[in-house]
Amino acid sequence: MMAEEFEPKIVAFLCKWCSSAGSDLAGVSRMQYPPNVVPIQVMCSGSVSPLYILSAFNKGADGVLVSGCHPGDCHYIKGNYYARRRIALVKQLLEYIGLEPQRFQMSWVSAAEGTKYTEIIKDFVQELKPLGPQTKLRRAQ
Amino acid sequence: MVNLEDLKKEASAVLKDEKVKYVIGYQKSSNGLMPAPVFINKPEDVEKLIWNPTCIHNLTRFLTDERQRKIKEKHPDERPVGLIVKGCDSRALVVLLQEKLISREDVYIIGVSCENAGVVDEKKLAKKFKDKKIERIEFDEKDNIVVTTKDGKTKMAASEILAERCLECKANFPVIYDVLLGEKTKRQPENPFQSLEKIESLSEKERWDFWKEQLSKCIRCYACRSVCPMCYCDECVVDTINFAVTADTTAEEKAQKIKWLEKSPVLSENFVYHFIRAIHLAGRCIDCAECERVCPLDIPIRFLNKKLEKAAKELFDYDAGFDPDHPSLVASFRDEDPEDFIR
Amino acid sequence: MEKVLAKKSFPQWVKILSSYKIFAPVEKENLWNYELIENPEKVNLDYLNTVLSPKKIIFPQREIYLEFSAENEDGLKVEEVLPDEKPSVIFGVRPCDAKSLTLTDKVFGGDFEDIYYWSRRKQMALVGLSCSTPPSPNCFCLTVDGSPFSKDGLDVIMTDLGDKYFIETLTKKGEQLVSTAKALFKTPTEKDKKDLLKIQQEAKKLIKRQVESIKKIPPKLKEMFDASLWDEESMSCIRCGICTYLCPTCHCFDINDEVDSHSPLKGKRIRTWDNCQFPDFTMHSSGHNPRPDKASRLRQRIMHKFQYFVERYKNYQCTGCGRCISQCPVGIDIIEVLDKVRDYGA
Repeated sequence: MMAEEFEPKIVAFLCKWCSSAGSDLAGVSRMQYPPNVVPIQVMCSGSVSPLYILSAFNKGADGVLVSGCHPGDCHYIKGNYYARRRIALVKQLLEYIGLEPQRFQMSWVSAAEGTKYTEIIKDFVQELKPLGPQTKLRRAQ
Repeated sequence: MVNLEDLKKEASAVLKDEKVKYVIGYQKSSNGLMPAPVFINKPEDVEKLIWNPTCIHNLTRFLTDERQRKIKEKHPDERPVGLIVKGCDSRALVVLLQEKLISREDVYIIGVSCENAGVVDEKKLAKKFKDKKIERIEFDEKDNIVVTTKDGKTKMAASEILAERCLECKANFPVIYDVLLGEKTKRQPENPFQSLEKIESLSEKERWDFWKEQLSKCIRCYACRSVCPMCYCDECVVDTINFAVTADTTAEEKAQKIKWLEKSPVLSENFVYHFIRAIHLAGRCIDCAECERVCPLDIPIRFLNKKLEKAAKELFDYDAGFDPDHPSLVASFRDEDPEDFIR
Repeated sequence: MEKVLAKKSFPQWVKILSSYKIFAPVEKENLWNYELIENPEKVNLDYLNTVLSPKKIIFPQREIYLEFSAENEDGLKVEEVLPDEKPSVIFGVRPCDAKSLTLTDKVFGGDFEDIYYWSRRKQMALVGLSCSTPPSPNCFCLTVDGSPFSKDGLDVIMTDLGDKYFIETLTKKGEQLVSTAKALFKTPTEKDKKDLLKIQQEAKKLIKRQVESIKKIPPKLKEMFDASLWDEESMSCIRCGICTYLCPTCHCFDINDEVDSHSPLKGKRIRTWDNCQFPDFTMHSSGHNPRPDKASRLRQRIMHKFQYFVERYKNYQCTGCGRCISQCPVGIDIIEVLDKVRDYGA
């Protein structure tokens, strides 16, 4: 029986105005990138609660991405600055308890950066493949 | 050295003038070495007050109950509450003021300085004195700790049985007070995050094994949450009760309401609980270590909160609980906040 | 039957019983708790008492009732998940903890037997360790019809005589445990019996704490529902839940469905411990909470243990183990509260 290669599942919280639009641009431009992402549109990266991130890992996500507008470009002016702080704290704590740091990433992707989005996803999938499925925080079935 | 009689005098004075509803302090408990919180409303009852290295409890915790009382009672007593606080406790008070849970007029602060000492660690005491019943613990003038058992007195340097957090204390006398007892002995620890290093220096696998073992013990009694002065949310994210029910709410909707974690005390759910609590305390936890003290399974909870305290300091130059006018950690930002982790 | 067992032969006894599932107190970082024993050599009864009582073995904190799944619209499959029924032995059970199991037996038994509880309980043999000295300075078993040598609920009772244990079998199950390894056991000498008697007599005197005239309390409580005492005593309560979770007789539980996926539907129905000191314990789905404050919850705890249970089962729902007193973060002392109840209004 042929061994199936592990396909990581990435949950991506994308802010509606920039990152989600950026991912749409990638789609509309027919850019090829791995289909491993479950995109969740949020109004602003600043609205991403640490609970969403934990919940994603709890339900078995192999990787989690939070992506928002570049600093200065937030549709709600300051949301992404709050996100920058909050996500830094989440990242510190996840690493501290022993979760592989590559599993949780954050990016600034604007509505025009379709290419950047595809590259982020490609690289993310490549980094996650050797790590295997995320079992540490996943709820037992 | 703080004189107990002075403390009693202060408490008695403010009660005699009827300036406060009651004074919350420490009294001898009926069942062992550790004291119990006491609510004194009559001046003569100040005789019950004690002050010694076992006065560990963070009495600021009871201000949450005060707020509840004011909300729920039909004719609440509007007078402030008198509160005996140590340095760490006063920082918790500052955080509550910062978050406007209470206002400055709600509390009359009787501050007590730990001077060069602090509070004892129950476990270290038990180890040193094993089966011997301890009758008294007190500071002496040189800030040594003197322990009296049936066999006599033993003097030791405070650092031998002080709580670990006291050895890293950032505020050994109250940062806010109406009256202060004891000297404002400034003592800056060399490395306020030293105790964290033994976990930080572990490899990723060792760290995971450590937290996995510790958090598997958790029985989700929520004592850590209940004792924390900063965990005052009426609707905590771990209690899935906050769901507005109307006449039209279907059973299906009720069954599928948002549940961030299951009630089962299994590792994955325990992680969510402890993790989210640590995040919610980022920039608010002042390391009174009550969470760790009350845990019946001795889980080192303090080291979760401490990590974020260090992150707050190193990444954002933030110290919790010093300035009531300072914005909270997560509701503020600086232009120079690091973004090297962001692609 | 009465026997003695050399202490150094004790691990061998445990080894011979390898066909049973063995539970015993295990120390980890200075705390003792019951665990499944993989290595019989490691069993050590040199301990005071565990943090969590042995009730967690028979009434686990998480129990799966059933599993459900639905492949399509009309195919709902429900499967009961019953505990596995291998015969088991719990070593080192203190008499108060053994007695507490006879009390939970009443709750989970009677007219309607809880199959989850009983499929474990029926397979369980309890080997007790009597209390030559009180495990806790807050022990008060004598007050609540218990004793450091009580045999209630035990199949065998062991007493530490220094270099050996005095063994007394109390039931057929207990006899079987001893006869399986009969080569290890010897007949007690007259000195052994004298030593045992001496320890038993001394043990009762060593229990320092008590509630005087406890018999007055159940009828007194009946009139105290609206007493101001509950407000006063609960002032420093932080409703942490430790007293209830650590109590060997507390048995309230919650049932929840843990849904792994919605489509296709797959999940489990789980029973977990619940805690009357949690503020949301009596929360109704309408939002109303009949016990919204600490006073009503403390009152509930005391009345359940010393009035409702007495009325229903003719026993105090308390075995005097002292855990709630030792572990309460704010020093609320059930003995003190009971003293105040008894003297209330006097």
